[in-house]
Amino acid sequence: MLALFAGILLTSCDPEIDAPNSSAGELDLTKYVAVGNSLTAGYQDRGLYREAQLASYPALLAMQLEQAGGGEFVQPLFGTAEANGTGYLTIDRFENGRPIIVTVPGQAFRQGTTLPGGAALTKYTDPVQNLGIPGISVLASASPQYGAINPYFERLLEPAEVGTKTYVQEVIESQPTFFSVWLGNNDVLGYATSGGEPTSPLDNLTDRNTFGFIYNTLVDGLTAGGAEGVLMTIADVTAVPFFTTVPYNALALERQEQVDQLNAAYGSGALGFSFQLGANPLIVRDPAAPAGLRPIKPTELVLLTALDSIAGRGYGSVKPLPDKFFLDESELQSIEEHTAAYNEIIRSVATDHSLALFDANAFFDSIKGGFMLDQVTYAPVFVSGNLFSLDGIHPTPRGYAILTNEMIRTINAKYNANIPTVDVSQYRAVLFP
Amino acid sequence: MKSKLLALLGGTLLSASAMAGGYQVNLASQRQIGMGHTGTGIQTGTSSIFFNPGAMSYLRENGVTVGASGIIAKIAYRAPEPGGVEAMTDNPLGTPFQLYGVYGINDKLKAGLGIYTPFGSSVNWGDEWSGRFGLNELSLQAIFIQPTLSYQITDQIGVGVGFVYAVGGVNLQRSIPVQNQQGAYGRAELDGDASGVGFNAGIFFKPSEKFSVGLNYRSKVDMKVEGGDATFTVAESISSRFPAGTQFDAQLPLPSTLTLGLGFMPTEALTIAVDVSRVGWSAYESLRFDYTAAINGADFSENARNYEDAYIYRIGAEYKLSDAVALRGGAYYDNTPVMEGYLTPETPDANALGLSAGIGFAVSDNFSIDASFLYINKEERTDTGALAGGIAGTYKSVAYIPGIGLNFKF
Repeated sequence: MLALFAGILLTSCDPEIDAPNSSAGELDLTKYVAVGNSLTAGYQDRGLYREAQLASYPALLAMQLEQAGGGEFVQPLFGTAEANGTGYLTIDRFENGRPIIVTVPGQAFRQGTTLPGGAALTKYTDPVQNLGIPGISVLASASPQYGAINPYFERLLEPAEVGTKTYVQEVIESQPTFFSVWLGNNDVLGYATSGGEPTSPLDNLTDRNTFGFIYNTLVDGLTAGGAEGVLMTIADVTAVPFFTTVPYNALALERQEQVDQLNAAYGSGALGFSFQLGANPLIVRDPAAPAGLRPIKPTELVLLTALDSIAGRGYGSVKPLPDKFFLDESELQSIEEHTAAYNEIIRSVATDHSLALFDANAFFDSIKGGFMLDQVTYAPVFVSGNLFSLDGIHPTPRGYAILTNEMIRTINAKYNANIPTVDVSQYRAVLFP
Repeated sequence: MKSKLLALLGGTLLSASAMAGGYQVNLASQRQIGMGHTGTGIQTGTSSIFFNPGAMSYLRENGVTVGASGIIAKIAYRAPEPGGVEAMTDNPLGTPFQLYGVYGINDKLKAGLGIYTPFGSSVNWGDEWSGRFGLNELSLQAIFIQPTLSYQITDQIGVGVGFVYAVGGVNLQRSIPVQNQQGAYGRAELDGDASGVGFNAGIFFKPSEKFSVGLNYRSKVDMKVEGGDATFTVAESISSRFPAGTQFDAQLPLPSTLTLGLGFMPTEALTIAVDVSRVGWSAYESLRFDYTAAINGADFSENARNYEDAYIYRIGAEYKLSDAVALRGGAYYDNTPVMEGYLTPETPDANALGLSAGIGFAVSDNFSIDASFLYINKEERTDTGALAGGIAGTYKSVAYIPGIGLNFKF
């Protein structure tokens, strides 16, 4: 009894730190709907799976909104029996410091049905608030056929809607009181990740006027009932490890014998270049160059997908690296111009509708050199940078948590709200074997 | 590719902070704790070995004192706004103790031995809090062993000096921000024994029955750890970057303290004491660990501390109700040595107010008991910790410290 009393007395004497109460400010958080692509779905490690969905930024944001009076948030979660979803990448081991990455097979496929965009997924036709569709672009969002092409979108549609209902319609029908829109990345990424050699028309760079028209239509529809929300810009490709991990001069020659062999193989200087001991530019295909090949320029970017070919199969040295594995200067310029144009549209739509704007482009630009948070270092670096998952494009759960907090700061500032940020330390980064 | 891919692994995971700030523990005598831990300008009995060896020569009887306190301390943490994350330390009970013995060689010359714990820290934030990559838990101990001689030059002046040999140890644990396939974070543990030497000298002047003054200097003691064990638990694939069997050396300064004390005895029953101390915290410039092997690419880690010297102001009083019973009270204000930007979770120090009360009871001519209670309230403090590898946020500490001591005379 005495011990209990002493315990109560001491507990009641614990130090306390006063803090302002959570509040929604000017927002009605009854129904939050997240609009976007793979980033919104929680996609990471080149897949969509249950654990990733649970750490999607809309899920984290909704959890924090709830503390400020927000309502329930429903995601199209894969069930526990199909938790691996579409499958995902994991590190099996390191070889000479290079991660050997393998695929964990998916579990959520609908047997016997294949769409143009891949194997069909188990249906989830109940209403959901996370409308993140991996792969979707602004261009695709206005196409009624898209529901019959993209398995992630087809998954959410009633059978009668497949091939007849656009994503824009689906979004507007959801009638949120608060929304987030992070679309547009795939209007450049499809082009960029294919090394500027798109294999499908949907992977081309979207015309900026078309982009502007569709984006405006979407946001007009969302705000028609007075809803407020946050729009997000898209990051530059140079901010993402997929495009920055393999250096242009990844051809390391350690022995004179290797140098002599390559010089002999490439015309002993007759093509206008020669090799030296140490780091050399990779050799790439270029139809415009003499003999259709040349050293890559320091300003050009090698894709992460080329890593294994370079490390294990002689590409970039004895075999020139194919077009699909790098972005040349003119491709990069197109990407840069289109990214800037899309972002300009997004910023002006945010201004016109007086919506919050999370400038993800500026944010990723600001962290190129890395930063430290609670004694953990973060940088846009493959595997060890803690921000990006094993596909080199999509964040880790911790990366998504950090993005969520940036969105919350933007929302708080715009709407005079006090939504608490997420404890990012509760979310994982890359797992090591 | 290897260096590029792994260079950022875990970031500066060992360059971050360690040990404590403001890790002085001023709990050297149960009677004096009751009086706001004053004592340099008055006769405090056997504990003059600590407070002012110059006053020890005034003891008229041989004596032995044993005492101990229990520190019940809690620190609250709240992440920077608008973060909702909160944490509270779950610290083990700290138990500083003191043991003093004084023997009169003759009327003028006294010999004494003190064993006490003037520095230490024990902080446990646990494995879940958001700052665990800065610190999980820290335990720092220092036990001072001080043989002392004191000589009474005249009826009015006494001098004394003691040699200090300090032994102790440090144990520091933190999470390493690299996860294995099960999602478990790595862990680093640094554990080592430490020792150092110093001295404690004082002069005591008592011109009248109603007034006394003392000056005391306790020197800096550099605690050196040599060959401590650095143990790392990390995912298998990166374990070669954290070699097993690594040892470390480190050094931590326990700062000097210069104290001027005054004593007023307006009546035979009442004693009032005032102390001002200057603690030489500026000796603590950085914390450096040197490893016998490269840990994640570096064979040392260092973090700035840049403490500044700090003052402590104390006042205390004792009133003798009768020959048997004495009541005590006191207060002090302790300025933090930790500058803005240098706050770390080891001891998230701030300016502190201490309030104390105590009672003394003489059971017989030869045996008495002292009991004390001290409440410490540190100011709420918000800091980035960015200059010292800290964890940004707001910290608030309180401590409740009961203690008891026994005095024997012969």
